[in-house]
Amino acid sequence: MSIPLVPNLLRAHLSELAENDSRIDGRDRWQGRETQVEVDVLPRAEGSARVQMGDTIVFAGVKFQVMQPYSDRPNEGGLMCSAEVRPIAGRNWEAGPPSPEAIELGRVVDRGIRESGCIDVESLCIIPGEKAWQVILDLFAISDDGNLFDAFALAGIAALRSAVIPAERFEVGKDSPLGVSKTPIMCSYHKVGGRFVYDACHREELGGDERIHITLGDDGNVHSLQKGLKGIFSTEEFDEIMRHALGRTNELRDLIN
Amino acid sequence: MGGYGDVQMIDENGLRVDGRGPGDLREITIETGVVPVADGSCRMTWGTNEAIVAVYGPMEAHPRKIQRQDRAVLDVGYNMAPFSTTDRMRPGFNRRSREISKVTKDALESVVLLELFPRSKIRISIEIVSAEAGTRCVGLTAASVALADAGIPMTDMVVSVASGKINDIVVCDLNKEEDNYGEADLPMGILPNSGELVFLQMDGDLSQEEFKQAWNYNMDAAHVIHEHMVEALKGGAVQ
Repeated sequence: MSIPLVPNLLRAHLSELAENDSRIDGRDRWQGRETQVEVDVLPRAEGSARVQMGDTIVFAGVKFQVMQPYSDRPNEGGLMCSAEVRPIAGRNWEAGPPSPEAIELGRVVDRGIRESGCIDVESLCIIPGEKAWQVILDLFAISDDGNLFDAFALAGIAALRSAVIPAERFEVGKDSPLGVSKTPIMCSYHKVGGRFVYDACHREELGGDERIHITLGDDGNVHSLQKGLKGIFSTEEFDEIMRHALGRTNELRDLIN
Repeated sequence: MGGYGDVQMIDENGLRVDGRGPGDLREITIETGVVPVADGSCRMTWGTNEAIVAVYGPMEAHPRKIQRQDRAVLDVGYNMAPFSTTDRMRPGFNRRSREISKVTKDALESVVLLELFPRSKIRISIEIVSAEAGTRCVGLTAASVALADAGIPMTDMVVSVASGKINDIVVCDLNKEEDNYGEADLPMGILPNSGELVFLQMDGDLSQEEFKQAWNYNMDAAHVIHEHMVEALKGGAVQ
């Protein structure tokens, strides 16, 4: 991703808005954009979802491969999660090998899903030591108007929940739904104009500072955290974010349950 | 062209596996304005193909060595998403995508009025999110609509369509099953207002008569597709 010039005017404008407790698109500090989730949208994927949050649009697609289990874990299959942000998604994204930003995106989403234990990797074993399913979750951005993290995480878990293991095509039994026992949800916060806001749009990301990503499970347990970009935050600020995330993750979970 | 013509793909009434006649197209839908952050965009479904195209620009051409003093350059990227095919497509460099990007660029540079935007770049990103058969035609056609949606001046839109041969019978617009057993493939990029061509490829085996038939199917189909394209753009303008 090319680093765009950040106009000082934009930063000044965002600070001014923050003083009056408003945001560049008129939202409340903790208000998310309108969010829509559709599943089974990609005919060639074994599970898929499309998420739109305001003008941010992403796809998630699930594919399966047969792998040989790792020798130290002969009874386990695997989960692989990768994120791609190609030039279609915005004028600052460039072609070529994945940028550090795209790699961070994929890894943070991956950790939230993996560590929640929502996929029982032992259930992916076909023949111990010989054959197991590898679940591949591909996250793909179509339009980046900020907060790809939350859009990817939501599309990712929605796609996994809709996935069907294509056992008949690989001639290893009958097709069956992929068991997904939990619903981890991510909420992201950006410091804009000196205070944290939820679900930043592109201009807020451009003129903002550090960001914090929180993934919470059904029971409110914490599954992944990430602080990104340059900036300093306090325990009090984090507590405030966590309180909001506890409520918001439940609202988003209702969208896909 | 993997087949040998030993599988019956056309029944005694001349109908194809999906019930189409030899000159019929698969179902087509076109929508504009689908990438809100882009200057122009298009989503096109064609059978179970789906392409999403975004156009950005004209904008500054980077790096400077790609700039042309007297005209704009097109930066065309054709790519298949990892979940677009039955077996997952590994992301990254691949020769097929590079070639299709190049021939698509060559086709579009023939119609865009590049000299109006010296030293600039227009970026056209073609993403195939679901592939059936004929993705290069979907990509090129959808790219024309996205350019028009972005208000980029062109002499005409390019309509791309392919015809081929199965069981020694020439048919228009092969689907996935037919493509697997196809004996020839002739994709063309047609300017519907003049009947001229800006893109042409072919592989397989066609007699002179079969070749002429395939050519004519493409020419006729181009007008049908062009109507869909114009309709979509008019619909976009009303919103």
